[in-house]
Amino acid sequence: MANVLWLQGGACSGNTMSFLNAEEPTVVELITDFGLNILWHPTTGLQIGDQVQDLLKDILAGKVQMDILVYEGSLIQGPNNTGTMNYFADRPMMDWIKELSEVAGYVVAIGDCATWGGIPAVPPNPSESTGLQFHKKNKGGFLGADYVSKGGLPVINIPGCPAHPDWITQILVAIAVGRIGDVQIDDYHRPKTFFTDFVQTGCTNVVNFAQKVDGGFGRRGGCLFYEVGCRGPMTRASCNNILWNRQSSKTRANHPCLGCTEPGFPHHDLKKGSVMKTMKYMGTFPKEVPEGRTKLAYYMEAGFQKIMPSNKRVQETSK
Amino acid sequence: MSVKELNISPVGRVEGDLDVKVYIDNGKVTRAHTQAAMFRGFEKIMAGKDPQSGLVVTPRICGICGGSHLYCASSALDTAWGTKLTPNALLLRAIGQASETLQSIPRWFYAIFATDLANKKYADKPLYKEVVKRWSAYVGETFQIGLTASGLPVQIYALFGGQWPHSSYMVPGGVMCAPTLKDITRAHAILAQFKNDWLEPVWLGCSIERYMEIKTWDDMLAWVEENESQRNSDLGLLIRAGIEFGLDKFGQGVGKFLATGTYLHKDMYNNPTIEGRNDALISSSGFFDGENYHVFDHMKISEHVKHSWYDNQKDGLHPWDEPLPTPMKSQTLHETDFDNQYSWAKSPRYDGHAAEAGPLARAIMNANPANKDHQIQDPLFGDIIKKLGPSVFTRVLARVHEAPRIYTFIEKWLSEIDLDGEFYVKPVEKDGKGFGATEAARGALAHWIEIENGVIKNYQVMAPTTWNVGPQDGNDNPGPIETALLGTEIEDPSDPVEVGIVARSFDSCLVCTVHAHDAHSGVELSRFKL
Repeated sequence: MANVLWLQGGACSGNTMSFLNAEEPTVVELITDFGLNILWHPTTGLQIGDQVQDLLKDILAGKVQMDILVYEGSLIQGPNNTGTMNYFADRPMMDWIKELSEVAGYVVAIGDCATWGGIPAVPPNPSESTGLQFHKKNKGGFLGADYVSKGGLPVINIPGCPAHPDWITQILVAIAVGRIGDVQIDDYHRPKTFFTDFVQTGCTNVVNFAQKVDGGFGRRGGCLFYEVGCRGPMTRASCNNILWNRQSSKTRANHPCLGCTEPGFPHHDLKKGSVMKTMKYMGTFPKEVPEGRTKLAYYMEAGFQKIMPSNKRVQETSK
Repeated sequence: MSVKELNISPVGRVEGDLDVKVYIDNGKVTRAHTQAAMFRGFEKIMAGKDPQSGLVVTPRICGICGGSHLYCASSALDTAWGTKLTPNALLLRAIGQASETLQSIPRWFYAIFATDLANKKYADKPLYKEVVKRWSAYVGETFQIGLTASGLPVQIYALFGGQWPHSSYMVPGGVMCAPTLKDITRAHAILAQFKNDWLEPVWLGCSIERYMEIKTWDDMLAWVEENESQRNSDLGLLIRAGIEFGLDKFGQGVGKFLATGTYLHKDMYNNPTIEGRNDALISSSGFFDGENYHVFDHMKISEHVKHSWYDNQKDGLHPWDEPLPTPMKSQTLHETDFDNQYSWAKSPRYDGHAAEAGPLARAIMNANPANKDHQIQDPLFGDIIKKLGPSVFTRVLARVHEAPRIYTFIEKWLSEIDLDGEFYVKPVEKDGKGFGATEAARGALAHWIEIENGVIKNYQVMAPTTWNVGPQDGNDNPGPIETALLGTEIEDPSDPVEVGIVARSFDSCLVCTVHAHDAHSGVELSRFKL
C-alpha cells in the first residue's frame, strides 16, 4: 500500500496521457491489484477546490501520509522567482512543492519538464522553468543538489517526452511493494534498468546503420542518422526494447529519435538547421557521433564502409 | 444580501489549471469568471528558431491533443512553403488525427466526465445506483473497460507515428513513415478489437450500422427503447440518466458555434493553400450564429486581451498581426480584480462574437445543408439543437456520437492507402506566412506561422479551450464557459460539482490555453511588472 499524490506544474499532461496507456499493469490494476492509492490526480481526482486544498494541508500536517509525490511538468519560477505564473490551489505551485517535498517518502519526477525543465526551459525560458533536481544537464534545479526525500533518495528522474508508461508504472510498483532498493540510478538520477541501453539497441535499422545505408522520410529501409538527425546512437532509453503503445517506436516508424530522454532535449535549443536535420561539418561529417567513439574513429569507420567498392551494401525493402 | 461568492481553485479534471469564481444568488450563479492559472510561453520559445520547430514543440503544448497540434503545424508549413501532398500523406495524417480523437472519447467520458454523475448530489435519482456501479472512478465496471480500450486507437497512431503521445511524423510535404502491408493489417485488427471490446458491446449495444441510421432526436429516443441491449448500453444509460439528472437543463452557453473543420480529402488538397482548405475538408468548417451558417474565414478571427495578463497589445487583432505580448503580474483567485486582467487566456472572437468550439460545433456543421458530397452530412444535431438547445447534455452527446463515424472513417482510409504510392515529397523551404487548422477532439485548433530570414518570426496557436475558457472581451462580453455557468444551480457550495460539470462538458484543456496565448520574442523578460 502506498499513497500517491500526483501534481502537474508547467505540464502538457502528456505523461498522464502516456500513463493512461499503461498495460501490464493497467492504471486500474495498479490501484485494484498493486495497492497504489491515488490521493489526488489532476485528471482523475474527484475532489475540487477547497477539498483539494484541505488534502494538501492534511499531508503537510502529517495527518495524511504521502508515500510518493509524483510531479509532472516544469517547476515554474517566473516572474522574478515568484512562481506566480503557475498558481495552484490558491498559491504558487512552487511553494506547495517546496513544502510537500519535505514530507514525501519518495519524489518521482516524470517527463523532461519535471526532470530538467524540458521545452518550457528552452531560451528565453519565458516562465523561468526548471526541473525538480536538475536544470538541463546541471544538478541543482528547484530542490537543490543535496535534496533527499524521507526515504533517503534524491528525486528519481523518469525522463522522456513523454515517459513510457512502463517506466512510470514499474517504478511506482517497486516503491509500493518495497523493492525500491533494487532500483539503481545513474548520474542523471534515471533508473538504470531503463536508461542504460541506447535507443539504437533493437532498432530495426541497425544493419543499415552498420553498412551506412542512408534513409529518409517516406521511404522504407535506410538509417536516419545521416540526414534527418536521428539521435538513437546517443540516447539512452529502452524505446526499441519496450515498445510504445505495444506496437512500435519512433525509429521503427521511420521517425528520427529526438533524444528526448537526455537532458539536452530539445537539442541545440531548436536553432536553425537543427530540427529533423543532421548537423554536419563541411556538409559531410556529422557534428555528433555515436556515444563511445571519437569523431576521428567514427569518420574513418563510416568512410571505409561508404567508399570500399567491393563492399556490397544491402538495402532490401518490401511493401 | 443573499449573494455569495465562491472561489474554486482548482476545478480539477479539466487538464491543466482552471480556477473559477462564481457569484451565487439564491442558489443560482449570477456571474462567473474563469481563470487560466498557468503560463509557459511556448510561442515565445519558438520565435527566432528553426522553421520546423513547431513540429517538435507544438505537440508538446498539449499531451492530449498532440496529434492535432502536429496536424496544424505541418499544415501551416505546407501553406507557407507550397508543398505537394500525396493521397497517402493526406490519408495517414487523417488517420492519425482520427485515432487521437477516437481515443479521447472513452478516455474523456469515463475518466473526466462520467465520474461526476456518481457524485452524491444525484443519490436520490433512480438511475444513480446503476451509474455508480458502472462509472465510479477506477472501480466502476465499464470505467475499467472503457479506460483500457481507450489505449487501442492510439496503438494505430503508434504504427504510423512511432508513439502516442508526442510524435512528429507529419512533416511539410507529407509523412515520415512508409507503412507496409503488416502495418495496415495490424491497424485493421486493432480497430476491430476496439469495436469488439468496447464500442459495440459496451457503448452502443448494437452494430455501428444500426446506430448510424439515427437521423433525428426522435430516432435517438426510439433507438434507446428499441431493445434491452441498447437501453442498457452505456450510451443508453447516458441518455436516460442525462435527462433524469437534468443535464439538459443547464450549461447553455453563448449559442454560437465555430469549427475549423478537419480531415483533408486525399484527392482534394494535393496542392495545399489557405483558400482551398474549406472545400477540401471532410468534416466541414463554419460559423453558426444560432440561426444561420457562415463560411469560415480565418481572417475574421481576432483576439482580445483587455482581461488577460498581457501588456502592450491592442484588442481585436488577427493572429498574424498580434504583437509581442508582455506577461503582466498575475494574482491568485482571491486577490484578482475581475474588472481588470484576470486570466492567462486571451479571448478569441469570430467576426466579433464569442463562439463555442468543440464536438457540438462540429456536429452542427455536419448538419449544414450546404455540405458537399465528400463532406459529412448528418442532420442529427441540426435537429437536436432546435429541439433541446445547447446544454451539458447535448455537448456530451455530440462528443460520443462521433465514435462510430470515426471508426468507419479509419477503416475506410486504411483500405485506401496505396502501398506502391509516395508518402513524402521533399519541399523547398522559403520565407512566408502559413495557416493550418484542424479539429482536436475538443474543438477548433489553428496555427499561424510567419517565417522570415529562414527562422520563425511569429507563431500563434489558438486552441479550442481558448475559444471556450477565455475571459471577457474588450466589450466586457463574457466567454462561452463564463456564459454557460450563468443560471447554474449550486446545491452545495462546499461541493460545487455543477461548476465542474459545466466546465468538463466543454472538455476544457488548460494546458493548451495557457501557453497558446502568449507569443513571441525574448527581450521582454525584464519587463515583468511586479
